[in-house]
Amino acid sequence: MKKTKLIAMILTVAMSLSLFAGCGAKSQVKSQDATKKETITLKLWGGVPSEYGPQEVVDNFNKEFKDKGIQVEYTRFVNDGQGNLKLDTGLLSGGDLDLYMSYGMDTLSKRATGKMAMDLTSFIDKDKFDMVKNFGDAIKNYNINGKTYAVPETLTNSGILINKDMFDAAGLAVPTSWTYDEFRAIAKKLTKGEGQDKTYGMFFNTVQQANYAASFIGSSLGGDPYYKAGGKESNFDNIAFEKNLQLTSDMMNVDKSAVSHIDTATQKLTIEGLFLSGKAAMSLGVWSTRSIKDTVKFPHTFMTAYAPFPTVDKEPAKYTVGGLGDLLSINPKSKYTQEAWDFIKWYSEKGSLPMAKYGRVPASKNVDKAAVLKASTQGAEKLLDSKSFETIMVKSYTNYGVPTITNKSAELSKVFNEECEAVLTQQKTAKQAMQSSKKRADALLKQ
Amino acid sequence: MKISKQLRTDITGYLFIGPNIIVFLLFTIIPIIFSFVISFSNWDYTQGFSNINFNNGMNYINMWKDEWFTKSLINTVVYSITLVPITVFLALVISVLVDKYVIGKTPVKLALFMPYISNIVAISIVWVVMYSPYGPITQFLKSIGIKNPPQWVGDYHWALPGIIIMSIWAGIGYAVLIYTSSIQSLPEELYEAAQLDGASGLQQFTKITIPLLSPTTFFLITTTLIGSFQVFGQIYIMTKGGPGTSTHVLVYYIYTSAFTFFKMGYAASMSWILFIILFVVTIVQWKFQDKWVNY
Repeated sequence: MKKTKLIAMILTVAMSLSLFAGCGAKSQVKSQDATKKETITLKLWGGVPSEYGPQEVVDNFNKEFKDKGIQVEYTRFVNDGQGNLKLDTGLLSGGDLDLYMSYGMDTLSKRATGKMAMDLTSFIDKDKFDMVKNFGDAIKNYNINGKTYAVPETLTNSGILINKDMFDAAGLAVPTSWTYDEFRAIAKKLTKGEGQDKTYGMFFNTVQQANYAASFIGSSLGGDPYYKAGGKESNFDNIAFEKNLQLTSDMMNVDKSAVSHIDTATQKLTIEGLFLSGKAAMSLGVWSTRSIKDTVKFPHTFMTAYAPFPTVDKEPAKYTVGGLGDLLSINPKSKYTQEAWDFIKWYSEKGSLPMAKYGRVPASKNVDKAAVLKASTQGAEKLLDSKSFETIMVKSYTNYGVPTITNKSAELSKVFNEECEAVLTQQKTAKQAMQSSKKRADALLKQ
Repeated sequence: MKISKQLRTDITGYLFIGPNIIVFLLFTIIPIIFSFVISFSNWDYTQGFSNINFNNGMNYINMWKDEWFTKSLINTVVYSITLVPITVFLALVISVLVDKYVIGKTPVKLALFMPYISNIVAISIVWVVMYSPYGPITQFLKSIGIKNPPQWVGDYHWALPGIIIMSIWAGIGYAVLIYTSSIQSLPEELYEAAQLDGASGLQQFTKITIPLLSPTTFFLITTTLIGSFQVFGQIYIMTKGGPGTSTHVLVYYIYTSAFTFFKMGYAASMSWILFIILFVVTIVQWKFQDKWVNY
């Protein structure tokens, strides 16, 4: 009796101790690191798959900074709701993260106000890193409460992808400015065939969100299209929304020159599957440059050209849709903030050129534009139209629409998305949808 | 001497259940209490603990004016009211048929049970393909003459029925398993006596099988109802609440409020409303069981 009891006690104690063993091991390793001047490995998180530029950047940095004892390791997270949630959780829990990318001002604002992004002002002042000189006047719109929380690394210009071969065959020139009506007519002209063999004029890529089709609106309404000045009232009564929604719906459901939203959503259609296979003459989604250049996964021979977004009428676009993106921030809980800043400086001044090979145009004015253009079209001279790529993607504009208001942006986006879906699936007219959007959004903003 | 031995036995006992209790406290009890506390507040968790602003239960009042909440509640109720009776009744019929007419009972029961133990994410992804315009279900409907089969997850009116069908398929295995084990314990003599008296198969089913299985039925209805109110995985993978708000369910809205809109307090209050609803429904069922359950 006594022996079994003793064994039971020993087992229980052993099991409880094993719970604490995990904690002990960690502290041992940490003390070893502190004793000698070890190489520091910074952890960088980004949304671009590593084979499309980041790995090359990281390798270049590691080669250059090997003797200074700083190395970088890249981890990719998928830039959707779940991926960003993973990143946020890592930052909140003080995890093993030193540097990371935010892909939008709303996500960056959330992180800045949540103390997940470090205020870089002290580093900037110490190194006299002139933000305006490096990135242009537009950079002032990317400060939050007057402070800098991230350094932008790309120009996120946007436009429409054009299958140049199809345009040539139809005798059409690549547009440099066009109205909604002209755009609609061209899409109709380029639509051929029926059923499985059909070629569409346009693919709106609404697979994730129905309101993606409303990307055009930025050129007339700027960076805060959902809000009226001040951010307390919604802007959904602006006629630009109704016109844009009507255009998209007509192209999908009346002309049938654009892939319908239902088809896109139920079949999970993609740019690579539609545009790169020649089933659509035009498409949204200029970030897909890396797929265009990947002729192994997506074989095609046609040349892709770029056009600006069409405007509502003959009046030229007030804003250029785009701005500064790939916002690189430092985790305030990182142990190596100085080394992280060294990386940011290196990346902004010269390190980001390899990203240009896959369509991510460096934002820094220090990077030679000609080198960028060459790197972007390198290996794809027959696949990318150099001239239009330069105008739409590489050129730096002065009238970017920068998002500054983020008040309940997630809720407003959801409302607008639901109303878009209703119009694109013909449950409502564009007019009804926008009236409903305005009512719902105003109610949300009053809360 | 007697006391210390008793004490020793007690301490041994506590040490054994200790780890389990600690984990239960840490991961279940404390979060439940915490969730109750913050349900009375407005809390954006990315701003840290200091940002808990208590708003005296305004969450509980505001939610009834929130059309997303009311729509989610309606959708969830519709989903449950359709799914529970169909699942339980179908399971009963299938179990009786399997018990009476099937030779290889174990493989059949296993096959029926497989969907229940499969990962809901895997099932959802497969069913998205099944429901696609070029998938098997649509092709089958076309082949039997239906000219315009519904678009399923892309259609406002058919998305929720589509999810219900898929959920019934996934969940029926559990009910069948419970029923078959209960059926095996039913007394044979009753059936023999009924046959002697000239009762048909259907009469035996309705007058003997169903009443005798009523405790099992009660159990299944209650548990299936509680489970169906918490549907989330299928919605998140297949439709994300869409098209529009046609498949927007309560737990999906709780998730959206917490992690997309960063309104943790509001999400917590909705979770507690879900708890209260299920608690009341279960109590009502419990009270009514005397009327129809025969033990």
